[in-house]
Amino acid sequence: MRTTKVLSALVALGLSLGVASAQAQSGTITATATVLSAITVANGANLVFGNVTPGVNKTIAITDAGAGRFDVTKAAATLVQLSFTLPTNLVTGGNNLPIATWTGGWNTVNNAGTATAFTPSAGGTSLPSIGANLFVFVGATVSPAAAQVAGTYTGNVTMQVVYL
Amino acid sequence: MRPLPLLTALALLVAAQPAAAQVILSRVRDLNFGAVIRGIATHVDPSDPVKSGAFQLTTANGSKVRVQFTLPSLLNGPAGATMPISFNASDAIASGVAPPSQPTSFDPGVAQTFTVVTTPTLIFIGGTVTPAAGQALGTYTNTITLTITLL
Repeated sequence: MRTTKVLSALVALGLSLGVASAQAQSGTITATATVLSAITVANGANLVFGNVTPGVNKTIAITDAGAGRFDVTKAAATLVQLSFTLPTNLVTGGNNLPIATWTGGWNTVNNAGTATAFTPSAGGTSLPSIGANLFVFVGATVSPAAAQVAGTYTGNVTMQVVYL
Repeated sequence: MRPLPLLTALALLVAAQPAAAQVILSRVRDLNFGAVIRGIATHVDPSDPVKSGAFQLTTANGSKVRVQFTLPSLLNGPAGATMPISFNASDAIASGVAPPSQPTSFDPGVAQTFTVVTTPTLIFIGGTVTPAAGQALGTYTNTITLTITLL
């Protein structure tokens, strides 16, 4: 009798020990998104070289009266990156006027004199966390040929601003 | 004298059980959509090296595992605001870190069974958030759970 009871206990123990448990592990991560207001970019001022003389380069610095300006509004205290699509020529009809040596400056107020300098490029310039208003100033140099055809030459300067 | 055979039988019974294979699952990084704009759906690809979520699974090569996500349908934001989050059929990738493992895209909404070829294995997840045009500004979060079952 006693032997039977002991064997029964052993069998029960063996069954519980012998169950192949499907080993499971769980882990968690967090999904996060931050909703921000849209960025707006407005034309604050065109880059205007005025009259240029054939064979004589002309530079407009960001502090000059003809400097270009973009006016940006964004969410305050956010990081953004500026990138540019820059023309290599201003054009009239089939005539090209080379433009290069781009200069830039950004500021949280409309003051090019105290702006932080940078070089506009397609590669992008990352700004530190700043307020909701951003002013971006642009300058460059045109290089008319000695036989440059007279006329009004134009091109587009495009700036893209994205949150980081 | 009589108890000795009982103890011996018990010891033999315990020793006969196979050693359980080990499964280690750890968090590598969160799924981070970053800045999203009202009214514009934003997708993070599971292959995004920065934004996609990632887990690391370590278990014996040749192990058969079931991979199952528990996914939220909403992210929770300020003052009770919520924002929809969704996952498409290719928003997860499983990939061993060494050859001959090949990245395998799969639906994170469906439990999958894999045979581990190399260990550790990385499991990545992306997704899409859809902020409304009038979505409340702020940070939204929720939890993604991954359960690995050794088969």
